Amino acid sequence: MSRHKISLTVNGERYEVEVEANRTLLQLLREDLELTGTKLACERGDCGLCTVLLDGVPTKSCLVLAVEVDGRDVTTVEGLAEGEQLTLVQRAFIKHGAVQCGFCTPALILAAEALLKRNPNPAEEEVKEAVGGILCRCTGYRQIIDAILDAAREK
Amino acid sequence: MPLPKFDYLKPHTTEELSAALAEHGVDAKLFAGGTDLLVLMRDRLVRPKYVIDIKEIKDLHELSWDERRGLTIGAAVTLNELMASEVVRERFGALWKAAGTIADPTIRNRATLVGNICNASPAADTAPALLVLEAEVEFVSAKGKRVTPILEFFRGVKRTSLERDEFVKAVRIPNPPDGAKGDYLKWGRTRGEDLAVVGVAALVANSGEKIMRIALSSVAPTPLRIFEVEKIPKEEGSVAEQISKAVSIVREKISPITDVRGGKEYRIHMAGVLTKRILEGLLGAS
Repeated sequence: MSRHKISLTVNGERYEVEVEANRTLLQLLREDLELTGTKLACERGDCGLCTVLLDGVPTKSCLVLAVEVDGRDVTTVEGLAEGEQLTLVQRAFIKHGAVQCGFCTPALILAAEALLKRNPNPAEEEVKEAVGGILCRCTGYRQIIDAILDAAREK
Repeated sequence: MPLPKFDYLKPHTTEELSAALAEHGVDAKLFAGGTDLLVLMRDRLVRPKYVIDIKEIKDLHELSWDERRGLTIGAAVTLNELMASEVVRERFGALWKAAGTIADPTIRNRATLVGNICNASPAADTAPALLVLEAEVEFVSAKGKRVTPILEFFRGVKRTSLERDEFVKAVRIPNPPDGAKGDYLKWGRTRGEDLAVVGVAALVANSGEKIMRIALSSVAPTPLRIFEVEKIPKEEGSVAEQISKAVSIVREKISPITDVRGGKEYRIHMAGVLTKRILEGLLGAS
């Protein structure tokens, strides 16, 4: 199997790593860089819990090869807060009780951050569409949608 | 579970890609968004020795339109790139609508139109739209290039007319006739993520040259264009009668199976319902 030297930026930090061809971005983040905020679940692109921002675009990292991200910029949930200062979206999730077990939270927060950057005043339908690829089995989504709409109002 | 082992190749030009396919074609799989390929590999349903990433090839990112030649969609163009195009939304409505029914917006940041048709699922949502829009597929290999109508592209469940040493460079869609309007309706168990129980695309024109084209997904081994409805607008009858004729022809010509997403009878019923709905919407009769 081929091995590849790649360099990438994750949460503002530059990494030079060597990866085997069959390594996914998700494995690289969790196992090699020990950034376990990005969750592993279905590994087939259905649940969306491994969503990260690839050059700012929400992307399911279980369906991206590590070798593909050579020269690219990755943001995971660990890269959002500045020190102890949580982002507006993160604070809104706490305020609205949008977190129960928390397993889907990193993906939803990243998708929300990307949405609000692209569209600072989304309608409720646009919020639902933007997080449509990420499954939550606890909250029923109401609190999540409210949190994102609230974060948009605060911005 | 980890992906099986393979060598990763990343050609930078179509010539390098043709050469790689000439050498490894039988053992290689082309890789764009990976949203089908990596899942099939994880399930060990596909075991390529070589995975050839096409995304570094600039030519394959072409998304262009021109009054004479129509629309060109390169093999590496993602569904979200396609949907962001005003021209696609305004002039190729059936395709725009179909692209937006695939999976979810996060997947569509990676998934490509050409990948959707090369995967050749009978449920491919973009296929019925391409059939009614009479798209063409441009193949390239080390030997040269050829163009084939989309109708001849699908050969069976997960089978296409693509040869092992060829790749699809682009899908080309001629401009629809003046006054034509198109749409795609997908019936699924959930709004996102799932494959179609039934999908229907239609292209109609009521003024000038009268046109009615209908194609469906998930109702036969391949996406299916129902040519028998195309004489309907040339015959006598009210819009309601035309729609009712089209519904009975569609119900008669499809051959769906029963699977986890729905029974055969249910699919036949819903194909009729969706055909009625899509034609009522396009012909302004409801």
